[in-house]
Amino acid sequence: MNAATAERFFGYEHAFTHPVTRGIVIFLVSALVLTPMIFMGLRRTVQIAAATYAELWARWRSWIWISMALIVPILLGAAWVITGVFMLSLLCYREYARATGIFREKMISLSVVLGICLISFAVIDNYPRLFFATPVLGIGLIAIVTIPQDCPKGFIQRVALGVMGYLFFGFSFGYLGLMTSDPLYRPLILLLLLGVEMNDVFAYCSGRLFGGRKLLPGTSPGKTVSGAIGAVVLTTCMMVITGHFFMFPGTPMDRWPMLIILGTGISVFGQFGDLLLSSIKRDIGIKDLGHLLPGHGGLLDRFDSLVIITPLYYHFLSLVLGPLGNGQAERIISGGPLP
Amino acid sequence: MKDWSLAPARDRDLPGIERHRSLMRENGLASSVLRFVMWSLLRPALSLWHRPLITGREHLPKSRPFILVANHTSHLDGILLASLLPTSWRDHIFPIAASDTFFEKRPVAAFAARFLNALAIRRCGAHNHDLEELRRRLNQEKEVFIIFPEGTRSRTGEMLAFRSGIGRLVAKTNVPVVPCYLDGCFRAWPPGKHFSKPLSIGISIGPPMIFEDCSDDRAGWDSIAKCLKAAVENLAERQQASSLPGAADQLP
Repeated sequence: MNAATAERFFGYEHAFTHPVTRGIVIFLVSALVLTPMIFMGLRRTVQIAAATYAELWARWRSWIWISMALIVPILLGAAWVITGVFMLSLLCYREYARATGIFREKMISLSVVLGICLISFAVIDNYPRLFFATPVLGIGLIAIVTIPQDCPKGFIQRVALGVMGYLFFGFSFGYLGLMTSDPLYRPLILLLLLGVEMNDVFAYCSGRLFGGRKLLPGTSPGKTVSGAIGAVVLTTCMMVITGHFFMFPGTPMDRWPMLIILGTGISVFGQFGDLLLSSIKRDIGIKDLGHLLPGHGGLLDRFDSLVIITPLYYHFLSLVLGPLGNGQAERIISGGPLP
Repeated sequence: MKDWSLAPARDRDLPGIERHRSLMRENGLASSVLRFVMWSLLRPALSLWHRPLITGREHLPKSRPFILVANHTSHLDGILLASLLPTSWRDHIFPIAASDTFFEKRPVAAFAARFLNALAIRRCGAHNHDLEELRRRLNQEKEVFIIFPEGTRSRTGEMLAFRSGIGRLVAKTNVPVVPCYLDGCFRAWPPGKHFSKPLSIGISIGPPMIFEDCSDDRAGWDSIAKCLKAAVENLAERQQASSLPGAADQLP
């Protein structure tokens, strides 16, 4: 392992060098400190039901845990991010599997877990070709493991459910780990998380403010058209400003069309990720996917927006800026081909 | 093609210890792997430490569901009986355990649920729907239950009266009940001791019994309990006769 890789994996000393990292961490900490004051102020001025008040506090406590779990590994270094993403993939697959019933097919679950291990290995190894091959390898494994049971009834269902879980929660989330191959992974990941989470907040706020027609009442009864449009406008503004002034000055990304595509993309596909999980939940007929985060539901109810956007974000930036992580030492563990 | 029936885990809405305690518990990959590791270590350890001498192994049914019923004198009983069955059934074998002993504290409950795969039942006043759920698991999901109808570990080594709960599970069903007698467990690991002594243990297995004709009421349940107790006592007598010195020569 060379010095640059060691720095990338474990170099927490330089966590705050980039202004975007600093800015987002300061923004988040102050938001978390200020919200309780807003709650108390609200309670003084307007009448809030005790239940709503308790719900707000539960959400706030969950947010503290979520932010810690997200920010601390990113600040500590790539090794921790990759571990965190690995755990996130496993826990999200578990919630999905218990909700859809695919957990009863233990061989399918086992191969999904092995696939997630392979994805994490490709990320640690910094072996992008292997990473981009993991969908095919994983799907092959998921498809063949139940053949020896000699029980073709339900084969399509179990393989399809397994593949879906693997691609969304293993491969898609794996991109968060893959982004750590770039030395600028801290601001890049934080920018994506900020965009996606603020997108949710914007949608909620503008939906409450303007109300009006429902977006897709069959899929998600709470969402309104005004919320969706408001989120697109506000998230795009936020991403354009952050991108232009702090994240991408002087790079090929620093052009209006590029920044606008990035902003709208994060907003639109973030919302599609949300609707995707809502569709799964409505199809099964459940409200939340889990109980891990009081006030939010399961882990997937919080991270649903990342499912579609993460790969798009990575590939869009790679397209415009050149491959992320280019020039870093590759195949750290597996080594290169023999000379 | 199979009908598309997405069924969430039946215990999905239950938090923490409630989930361990629930009769609707459904296990996934993680506990299956834990159990695989545990049994891989426990089977050889049991056979080395206790050298079980098994008679009547041919009476064990080859297909599920069925119930193993035995006398209860130690914590060894459940795992010894479970170790008689194929390893691949590890997720389908459920010892029925007292909820006041095994499902009160969280770590114990987690161990009982994850490793032992125990199902919790109340010693006194088990609800009707609990027994309904156990019957459903038995008949629809084709599980194996290990039940100690005495309802507790015998503190003297003497067999206590069998309670009628077993009858409520099997009356008017064709689920076979296999009576077993465990000999030597009380000497090896009496209640109150922390570890088992390396003593040899005899396990005798009797022919399966089916209670399809027994009535599903108090009288029927009692007669099933009596019937099973007689079967286990019979096994006990034969076991003791054969383990007397010189007994092997006298047998025909």
